[in-house]
Amino acid sequence: MHDAPRMTSVETRLNSIISEFADLDGREKLELLLDFANRLPPLSATYLERKAIEDRRVHECQTPVFLWPEVTAGRARLVAEVAPEAPTVKGFVALLAEAIEDQPAAEAEALPDDLLERMGLAEVLGILRTRGLRSIVGHVKRGITRQFNAQP
Amino acid sequence: MAEYVHPEVLVTTEWVAEHAADPKVRIVESNEDRALYIQGHIPGAVEIDWQVDLQDQVRRDYIDRAGFEKLCRTYGISNDTTVVFYGDKNNWWACYAFWVFKLYGHPDCRIMNGGRKRWDLDGRAWSTDRVHPQQTSYVAPEQDVSVRALRDEVLKHQKAGRALVDVRSPEEYSGQRLHMPDYPNEGALRGGHIPGAVNVPWVLSVNDDGTFKSVKELEKLYTKESRLKRRSPTVAHCRIGERSSLTWFVLKYLLGFSNVRNYDGSWMEWGNCVGVPVVKGTEPSGGSEPHGVADAARASVSPAPVHA
Repeated sequence: MHDAPRMTSVETRLNSIISEFADLDGREKLELLLDFANRLPPLSATYLERKAIEDRRVHECQTPVFLWPEVTAGRARLVAEVAPEAPTVKGFVALLAEAIEDQPAAEAEALPDDLLERMGLAEVLGILRTRGLRSIVGHVKRGITRQFNAQP
Repeated sequence: MAEYVHPEVLVTTEWVAEHAADPKVRIVESNEDRALYIQGHIPGAVEIDWQVDLQDQVRRDYIDRAGFEKLCRTYGISNDTTVVFYGDKNNWWACYAFWVFKLYGHPDCRIMNGGRKRWDLDGRAWSTDRVHPQQTSYVAPEQDVSVRALRDEVLKHQKAGRALVDVRSPEEYSGQRLHMPDYPNEGALRGGHIPGAVNVPWVLSVNDDGTFKSVKELEKLYTKESRLKRRSPTVAHCRIGERSSLTWFVLKYLLGFSNVRNYDGSWMEWGNCVGVPVVKGTEPSGGSEPHGVADAARASVSPAPVHA
């Protein structure tokens, strides 16, 4: 018997999230995504100040989405603000934030691009929305890489 | 006060609240963000999604006639049902769904003026109940092509010098904006607009509360400043045909244009076509002021929609 390749902690978290979504119907998947959206904490005073002076808006999103993919001592974190009129985007961003919170940056850099397909959300959201959300995954990964490379 | 030409297609939130349980009326929500309906919808309203329900999932086209009939039957819509559409984003998607229903000749379609925003501002209640409409029978005619313009028709229309209205943002119209740095281009290989098209961004048609502007303001915008004519054949387009279905609604029903079609292929088709005419710049003919540094800077921070 072969040993299964060891899963990283981000993968473990994501697999547990994916299995939560797996057996739900379309409506229930969106309800679960709303639960994630409701857990996204509001920006702290520090980030509210930074929001005013930094260009953190994700321009390819129609609705206001502000992201701070960060790396501290090799650990990843995603701070975000998403307009309440876009609860799907907010839920997905919150889910990404929970998955990478305090995990090794190298693992966060390897977030899979096909997450929405694996959660069964792609067919609920349609091609264009799925593409839009996937670009957020890319945005987070690139941000983590930039931060990681800038570490002393 | 001057009235819209077809005021009967607009209903108020009050009318909807009064008719939500009327068996002859079906309230339909259509959104940019599907989770909004789950968060709360008008009591009794069903959700019809523009991507998943109204579009074919394989070909780039709408569902076929049989698909439309099945959709209506599932959502409790009969041929004589009054269907009232509303949604987020100033009723973009509500107008889009309205347009698809007109494409299949549904007689009585209306828009709830102001959409979700106005319902909220009026302090009306949202419901999270699951709605289970009774199956109906529905028979749809073939597509009513008088509301739809296809690519070759638009080309002919353009060559004949007929009226075109491009409802995208000024940056998309002039060709400054095509894709974001670092990102693969989501839509078109070429930027700019169809020669002769006037630029009237869709957003100018609506008030802050999501309702449509008055007939006087709309006339100023479309017939005076942009010199569009009620009796001239007119084609509206945007990037994927959704913002322009709102403009199509405004021109046809609020201003009474007698021959207006929506080019649903829009820029995601035109900007990828080989050999079709394209011009850049701020003028319909393509003549333009030079693109200054300030313009380029503005374009790089402007939140113009990319996936719409």
